Amino acid sequence: MPHARVERRHLLSAAALGRTAQPPQPAEDDDGPALDALSGRILDTTPHLLVIEDDEGQEERLVIAPWATAWRGGPVPPDRLPLGSRVIVRTRSGRVADCVWADMTRMTGTILDVRGRRDLTVEIDSGPHRGRRSVVIPYQATGRLLVRHPKLEPGYLFDAIGTIQDGTALAQVPATSQPPYRANATPAPPPAFGGAQSRISGTAVWSDLDDDGAAYPMLESSDTGCDQGVVPCARLPYLSLGSMLFVRNVCGRRSTAVPIVACGCMAGRFCDRCVDCDTSPRGRIVELSPLSYVRLGGDLTKGCFNAQVGLR
Amino acid sequence: MLVTAAVAALPILTLLLIMGGVAKLFTAGDDGGGQDTLSRLGPAVLVPERFRKAAMLACAVGEFALVAGQLAADLVVARLLTVAFFAISTYVLWDLRRRRPDVGCGCFGEVSSTPVGLRSVARTAVLTGMAVAVAAADVGVADLVAGVSWTAAAWAAGYLALLLALSPEVEEIMSRLRHRAPCEERPVPPGRALARLKASAAWRTHAAVLESGEPDDSWRELCWRFFVFPGQGGADVVFAVHMSGRRPTVRVAVVGQDGNPIEPLAESIPVSATR
Repeated sequence: MPHARVERRHLLSAAALGRTAQPPQPAEDDDGPALDALSGRILDTTPHLLVIEDDEGQEERLVIAPWATAWRGGPVPPDRLPLGSRVIVRTRSGRVADCVWADMTRMTGTILDVRGRRDLTVEIDSGPHRGRRSVVIPYQATGRLLVRHPKLEPGYLFDAIGTIQDGTALAQVPATSQPPYRANATPAPPPAFGGAQSRISGTAVWSDLDDDGAAYPMLESSDTGCDQGVVPCARLPYLSLGSMLFVRNVCGRRSTAVPIVACGCMAGRFCDRCVDCDTSPRGRIVELSPLSYVRLGGDLTKGCFNAQVGLR
Repeated sequence: MLVTAAVAALPILTLLLIMGGVAKLFTAGDDGGGQDTLSRLGPAVLVPERFRKAAMLACAVGEFALVAGQLAADLVVARLLTVAFFAISTYVLWDLRRRRPDVGCGCFGEVSSTPVGLRSVARTAVLTGMAVAVAAADVGVADLVAGVSWTAAAWAAGYLALLLALSPEVEEIMSRLRHRAPCEERPVPPGRALARLKASAAWRTHAAVLESGEPDDSWRELCWRFFVFPGQGGADVVFAVHMSGRRPTVRVAVVGQDGNPIEPLAESIPVSATR
């Protein structure tokens, strides 16, 4: 599917239905200061200044807030992050960095194989669009991962957060409690009582999306090649690539509209809840790119927030 | 009386065996997509995962074989095997209820996904009794034709009422009919919307400005399916077809390369339309 054609869909559908086609808005804040996020590679760090080269190749100089935290497999002081690390920085009030995540990756998929005795190597299938990848669980992290993934065996789901170091994906913290069912036995959504809802509640997660936007589980297979054998656990309406999705972080009280850029085939298989501030209804309703997730007030090490989605 | 009871039971047993076999075939055949229905249906859950589909198919084929043996070949052994089939089914459901209280009986495939209860077990016990009556009276097709009477019809009506009362599938079907998914969540093939678009007034109005009859792009958003056709002068003609009803609402806009609509919105709905 050509990219330009997908980007034009929102404009064309708005014209046909007589809606206004507005570009994506920055995250609206119900309260608190405005959040922004940027990603890039570290060029230099000092205790007070972080210099990064952003994805457009521009140099950005960010003031490190005194309360700023950083994470790279565990909490580290921001000025100890290695040069060249790929970072996602949450900024407040313009150029003040208050949280930095370095070399982050999320490993979500169906377990294909588990090898090793001390450090475990897990082969996962991340869905038809992202393919297979190999994940290493370092010995120090096996305890906390296994306690949340009691069925570390082929056919079950795996979801962990970690870092990419020297080209190896290291799973360091569990992103969720492993669903008890096999990956191909996703529970059916509840029956349709009372028609469609304009806002759907559930769990928003983040994933390593290439484009800034969201992956949505309920797309047509003719549009995306999504495996339609899997009906998401939450009842969701059909949307398409290019649709603008309104996403609200219920806990962080922030909302924005993001374009749908990918199919959330793997998200649809998870029937878990998020307990960020309250217990969310079951089911992953949207998978956000790291930047969109951070702009909505999400913490990349937590892996989810309670969310509502709808169509603008 | 036994013969009358058996004559009434035979067509019902045959019908149920055929319905059960067909439903199981569909459920087993529909399992390729990824949502593993068989992992929630008995008795497939009692066998290892790789044999589940085969177990479901074997069960369906067995039911067809029993029907063929009773009706076509008129074999006594087929009638005895039918008794054995329902007796074993009763035990298996009883065991399933104890071992896997979360799974459905799978008697009629995916429709029987309600967890096995006493009603399902009682229904199989009633069917066993009916099969015993057929086997004891040794009733075949010829006896069935000869034995048609009002008494036999009353027996058959009684059997049907009892079986319907013991069938959780009836409630499941009613619930599915009552809570039909709204159009936003229903899969609809794109070809249907395209056919309805080409039968609409909006299509006839704009057909002259289209450079091709094949859409450049098509996508779905909630209850609307959109088709974009190349128009004259590099413009895009976008049609939005609502996905409910046989004569759905169709909206159209002509959009230039700069993204601005070239003409006012036109709707296909004639003034006399009720919608």
